[in-house]
Amino acid sequence: MNVEVWTEKYRSRSLEDVVDHKEIVSRLKSFVKEKNVPHLLFVGPAGVGKTTTILAFARDMFGPDYTNSVLELNASDERGINTVREKVKVFARTAPIQSDVSFKILVMDEADSLTQAAQHALRRTMERYTKTCRFCLIGNYSENIIEPIQSRCSLFRFSHLSQKDVRDRIKYIADLENVKLQEPGLDGLIEASEGDLRKAINILQTAAASRGGLVDEATVFDVLGRVSPKEVKEILLLSLKGDFLQAREALRKLLLEEGLAGQDILRQMYSEVLRLQLSDDSKAKLLEMIGEVDYRLTQGANPEIQLGALVAKLVLAGKEMR
Amino acid sequence: MTPDKRPWSERFRPKTMSEVVDNEAALRKLLAWVRSWGVGIPDRRSVILYGPPGTGKNSMVEAVANDLGFDLIEVNASDQRTASRIDEALGKNTVQTQTLFGKRRMILFDELEGISGQEDRGGVEAILRLIKETRNPIVMIATGSAESWEELLNPLIRVSELIEVRHAPMANVLQLLKRICDSLEIEAQEEALELVAERSNGDLRSAVNDLEAAARGKKTVSLDDVYWLGNRDRKNGLTEVLHKIFSAKSFREAREAQEASPVKYEELFEWVYENIPYFYEDSHDLSRAMEALARADMYKKRADDTQEYRLLKYFFDAMTAEVALARQKSKGTGLIDGIRKASNCIHLAPSSLFIQEEREGIIVKPTKYLGNDWQPLNNVMRELGGRWQRERSLWIIPYFRPPGRISHLAGSWWSRRRNKDLQEKVAKRCHISKRSALIEVIPYIKAIFRENPRRAMAIGHSLDLEEDTIKWLKEK
Repeated sequence: MNVEVWTEKYRSRSLEDVVDHKEIVSRLKSFVKEKNVPHLLFVGPAGVGKTTTILAFARDMFGPDYTNSVLELNASDERGINTVREKVKVFARTAPIQSDVSFKILVMDEADSLTQAAQHALRRTMERYTKTCRFCLIGNYSENIIEPIQSRCSLFRFSHLSQKDVRDRIKYIADLENVKLQEPGLDGLIEASEGDLRKAINILQTAAASRGGLVDEATVFDVLGRVSPKEVKEILLLSLKGDFLQAREALRKLLLEEGLAGQDILRQMYSEVLRLQLSDDSKAKLLEMIGEVDYRLTQGANPEIQLGALVAKLVLAGKEMR
Repeated sequence: MTPDKRPWSERFRPKTMSEVVDNEAALRKLLAWVRSWGVGIPDRRSVILYGPPGTGKNSMVEAVANDLGFDLIEVNASDQRTASRIDEALGKNTVQTQTLFGKRRMILFDELEGISGQEDRGGVEAILRLIKETRNPIVMIATGSAESWEELLNPLIRVSELIEVRHAPMANVLQLLKRICDSLEIEAQEEALELVAERSNGDLRSAVNDLEAAARGKKTVSLDDVYWLGNRDRKNGLTEVLHKIFSAKSFREAREAQEASPVKYEELFEWVYENIPYFYEDSHDLSRAMEALARADMYKKRADDTQEYRLLKYFFDAMTAEVALARQKSKGTGLIDGIRKASNCIHLAPSSLFIQEEREGIIVKPTKYLGNDWQPLNNVMRELGGRWQRERSLWIIPYFRPPGRISHLAGSWWSRRRNKDLQEKVAKRCHISKRSALIEVIPYIKAIFRENPRRAMAIGHSLDLEEDTIKWLKEK
């Protein structure tokens, strides 16, 4: 049996198989028929199938060797807009393999995380290579994409998947993988996944690996407990206990060793702080600091120093609590 | 005869070239260049003499000037080196003429690395101008490793001849110490001088200073006499600046500590950050100090981004003075108390340890054979950041801990590589960013590795993970 990550194994290969998003799919099918496509902008929540849809579209358009005609970039992994421009240049220079399609497709995921300046630069790049390269920009929110880019793209809004769609897909996968999925387990899984199909599939696969393929409510909760990050909470507890040194060590491990982004740590801290047994006053103070640190990180400040200062604040809050 | 009160390092420094024992190659190069001024103006009108402290750079220049009959005009760190001050002190006149008595001049800029872009605005440019106009040799001296100043001094480096001066070999240091003892009729134990020489790390000046500290006014020097001398930290006064910052009582005191120090500010920042929690046990103080440091971090970022380096002064203020002023209730490290408490914990009689503050740390020396107690004590000392010095049979616990971020990076190299492999492969296979891979997928993969290693390994292979990564995940 070919064991791999199920989100990939069960990713829809063709527009025919894409879950939900009927209108979007039918528009895209007509592009395939015409062998032409405008620049695309896909927006919508995580795990509803934006990337799946564009990859399926590309396969339908270019055939099984579509990977030669598609370049996938992720804005959050690229080092600055200049490297993006370089990559586009090299990619767009050569003609596509198929003679009946005159362009290639560049998929830029998390495009809404690009700064305004970078988006303007990207816009100029789009203009320059329009003849040989179509862009598909993907993001969560269209508000974060500058107007000039929005106006040059056909905007496709992906809505949340319905609970039924997620359920059906999960049951379908469970059947094929011989997972004994019990109804309460499925309920728990659907609830936890919050409409994010990728998350639902990941939970299913992890749960199925643990107890000989039996997935009930307990297994699902067990998985959720295992994958929920404990490190940030640990840092928080150490700080409140007054152990700055240990908390700093744990912070270092997360940032330097695990490679977690400062802002991801901060996001977890935010929700953890809300749950703490603290006076409203000190909560407000902490949240103010979190907001400030978050902004500073966007400005390129040093995450360890900034989060370290936040940890010191937590130490203080912990002392006042006692 | 009145006794010579000068410090030995002054008294025994070479006055003529024949007394310069080390760095023969550097001396030859400098000499050839200075001589070339006798037949006109050479292509390069300036040299930069560089190397570690205490290697005799100044002495070499003085000896050459002395022997070749030049009048040496020194501009050193105590003078402010703004453009206007340099022009004032050494106008065109000075660099282009001879002295009243027809003696040629040689201009010496000492402590070149201390020119800061901030206070000595235009200083580098002013020197550059002088070099273009000069009819007299200009010698510049820079101390410390090249990377600490090469960026700042780049314009000067481009037009100057560079001459490197190196640490003196241990044998030469020893030889110098013996010569001094001979001339002062001091009877010295060979091992004592060896220890001093060894600890100097080739810094002649510090070796002579140490010898003087141990032997002045005496007729004999034994190993015991030099035993207690501290190991000099080679961190160009880092310990001193940190001491000042962590004990300053006023804004000015702390600020001046940094201004007067040649320590690279990025390095100083790391050390301050690392040591704050050890000096600020009161949580109000700690929080204020960390906040000041976080602000300093921001200010530095702003200066870098805008290239407006005058903004760095806010960075310096926050990193030094504001950190210092954050301390209101904290008592400090309490290192000595900590040591006593820790040794109590392992039931060691107070009399079995000799504890003393030294320049760069606290020394802890067993006063008797410790037997089985040695190991637990050693663990305690290590926990306090101490290290065992075999040749002196004592622990030395530095007041300041080195930046842990750097050692953490070194220590976690393997897991960082594995994490990187995992992130990259998952991101690629699952069409997501590395950051999302870390949060959205990798926790599940790790969970499967715990629950069902066999299946997890198959998944690992399908992701094309490196074998080492799979092994690492399995063992985690």
